[in-house]
Amino acid sequence: MNTRSISSRLVRSAAAVLILVVLTASATACGGDPDSLTVYSGRSEKLIGPIFEAFTAETGIALDVRYGSSNDLALLLAEEGDKSPADVFLSRSPGPAGYLDDLGMLSELDNDVLDRVATGDRSPDGTWVGFAGRGRVLVYNIDEVATGDLPDSVFDLTGPEYAGRVAVPGSNSSFQDWFTLFRLRNGDDVAIEWLDAMVTNDSRFYPKNGAIVEAVGRNEIQFGLVNHYYNFQKVVANGDAQRSANHGFAAGDDGGLMIIATATVIDSSEEKDTANRLLTHILSDAQQAYLTNKVYEYPLALGVMPADVLPPVPADRVGAVEIDDVAAEFTRTIEIIEASGILDQ
Amino acid sequence: MVAVLVAAAFALPGGYVAWRVIGGTESPLALLTSPRTLSPLWRTVQLAVLVSASAAVLGTALAWVTTRTDLIGRRFWRVVVPLPLVYPSFVGAAAFISGLSPGGIVHDLAADLGFDLTMRLHGLTGAWLVLTLFTYPYVYLPVAARLASLPTAFEENARLLGDRPARVFSRVVLPQIGSSVAAGSLLVFLYTVSDFGAVHLMRFETLTQTIFRTRLFDRDRSFALALLLLVLALVVVAAERTITRAGARRGALLTSDATVGDRRALTVPLGRWAAPATGLVAGVVGLALVSPAISLADWGLFGWMRSRRGGAPLRLDWDDVLAPTWNTVWIGVTTAVIAVAVVLPVAYLTTRHRSRLGGAVNAVVVAGFAIPGLVVALSLVFWTMHASPFDFLIGSMPVLVFAYVVHFGAQAVRTAQVAVDAVPARMEDAARLLGAGRLRRLATVELPLMLPGLAAGAGLVMLSTMKELPATLLASPIGFRTLATQVWGTYEALFLPEMAILALILLAISALMTWLLVVRRSDHLR
Repeated sequence: MNTRSISSRLVRSAAAVLILVVLTASATACGGDPDSLTVYSGRSEKLIGPIFEAFTAETGIALDVRYGSSNDLALLLAEEGDKSPADVFLSRSPGPAGYLDDLGMLSELDNDVLDRVATGDRSPDGTWVGFAGRGRVLVYNIDEVATGDLPDSVFDLTGPEYAGRVAVPGSNSSFQDWFTLFRLRNGDDVAIEWLDAMVTNDSRFYPKNGAIVEAVGRNEIQFGLVNHYYNFQKVVANGDAQRSANHGFAAGDDGGLMIIATATVIDSSEEKDTANRLLTHILSDAQQAYLTNKVYEYPLALGVMPADVLPPVPADRVGAVEIDDVAAEFTRTIEIIEASGILDQ
Repeated sequence: MVAVLVAAAFALPGGYVAWRVIGGTESPLALLTSPRTLSPLWRTVQLAVLVSASAAVLGTALAWVTTRTDLIGRRFWRVVVPLPLVYPSFVGAAAFISGLSPGGIVHDLAADLGFDLTMRLHGLTGAWLVLTLFTYPYVYLPVAARLASLPTAFEENARLLGDRPARVFSRVVLPQIGSSVAAGSLLVFLYTVSDFGAVHLMRFETLTQTIFRTRLFDRDRSFALALLLLVLALVVVAAERTITRAGARRGALLTSDATVGDRRALTVPLGRWAAPATGLVAGVVGLALVSPAISLADWGLFGWMRSRRGGAPLRLDWDDVLAPTWNTVWIGVTTAVIAVAVVLPVAYLTTRHRSRLGGAVNAVVVAGFAIPGLVVALSLVFWTMHASPFDFLIGSMPVLVFAYVVHFGAQAVRTAQVAVDAVPARMEDAARLLGAGRLRRLATVELPLMLPGLAAGAGLVMLSTMKELPATLLASPIGFRTLATQVWGTYEALFLPEMAILALILLAISALMTWLLVVRRSDHLR
């Protein structure tokens, strides 16, 4: 190939690419359609996508959804401020919603949305509502541990029979949610003492719930503090080959807790009515039934029963405790977790 | 002038981090004295030094073996050796760990053959091994490109004079490829510093981990630590430039006197080294590329068989595959072409003109690679929304491509610099004397000579873009889906069979594009 033609082809393709980019830009820059909503979703598309599709099918309102991790999306919203295109933000836990609430970025929800759930499942000032729950449980290896030997309380895990056998997801946001509440209820002294005892007892640090369930399944470690959801998905994927199961702590124990996924409407939205309509849809009987039967989460709308296969509903919820300064409490939680040395285990 | 403008664009993320730190309550200097900062910082440096050193050795060895010897199946190896780069860090590490653990397919296969591969991979060793295997292509691609464009006369002469291959390598080849090796290792260093997925799964708490963990509820500290990371990167980039400059003089001397155009393929017969060399290449590809791929295929097949047997169906349809695949392809190619075009002026400024300005521009552009993609995305949102007239562009394709170019431009810059350096000034002088204008010289003399180097840089940018996640999720037009975002979405929901199938598609597409755009392109010139 002669060199002249290589370079002219290079120039031509660069020009074509540039035109393409400009065209796509102008196509996507036009917005402001009243028949559509923009949703930032911290819940993944595979789980929540069908709920959105049903909404569009029922109402004809199109949804533009940006998926991402809840924390990242909250940071993005904070950076966008009142210029954000988002109307609705769905978060996997109350933390990111509380963060935006402290910045004054959330609007108060309609009463008929709030009244779909119990008072413990929504924020005291009415800026977010819970729509699905995940329980904190102890996952264990079914070949190594007899059901009779399972502990009643999270405080038992500091005993000698658990030395070196428990996985703790110290950097995971659900664990931090749980630990914040554990701390607020029992006081910092008890919480710190428990975590330090876990470290002394040679508990192991793992980064994610999924990684723990996998490690427990292959008997790399025998127990793990996780959300109930992960084991269900592993069993769906692997069937009997998955050698792990969930265990719920005794009713009222501090180890069990429901982490609730929250829905919010952004204050700068010009489509607040439509946004509230989407929240009503998510909390409708049909969609709540989908969430519990297909996604294995606890439904929060009043009158909808959890799927039979789920462990008993944990008594406590993250939303039940009012947190004045969410960011400050979580910063404190992170400090304690770091100081305990669990992240180096 | 153009180069300075480019550098200004590349400085946007760093400027944003600095701005946030100034407005925040945490001082990076005060944090430096705290053990909460020092121990992750120390771990980060340790890991980055180890990984760069091992990736440098591995990448160089593989490049030499696949371009300069009579290794069987060289053309095939040249396509597959760079591919581990395309595993998104979290997927590669997850597949690697689970394959080698008891119950994992690679572990069990090896056990059937009588090997005990049980590795409890975690911490420094685990992170070092996995990152080396996934980052050596940063060294391999530029070094292989450099070897392909080097005149072989010196090696030929040295061999005729009776030097053994090892001596030819250390005395003749190494001085000439030294700057490419340094360029690649620097990229490995910066990648390691900014990596999140692999160190996360290996339970190794580096600075990036701390930044991510504190990003929402302790934002001031998170930004202060990001600034520390950036300063560390700037120091390393500056040091690398000083060292390579000193070393390059020897290599440059050799090159400039060589006859360009003398590209007869030189092949060193491996002889009795054929088996070990094949073993090395196959072993590395086996560990870094095939073993995670086997784990993925295992998960994917399991899901497919399960649905065939009437169990839970695969939750994947054509919509999940077709549009994301096409998006991945075109955004990868577009970004690569634009990145190379944008950094070429920078490469000229920083290699042809030895000025302080050149050093500064180089540092800004290259160090940007150490800033996590999440911060790059947030910074662009910040600047376009609050400090420019372009806020209507937010969430549009140009912003996304801009984010990619700023994030990955460093990969093209270092290879472009080496390519510019390889054009002998004498040739340009000759063309000028013959009356060729600036553009004509660029098009007919310099570009063809630089093409292998530029293609290698473009290849790196393309593969990185295809797997990029945080910037794609946050800065893309809403609803824009790539294979990487699909892999992430299924992974988050723990839909492992679906995730595995998507990841294998990403791998296959990357192989095809590496062959079409990088390998074939540089082979033309042989």
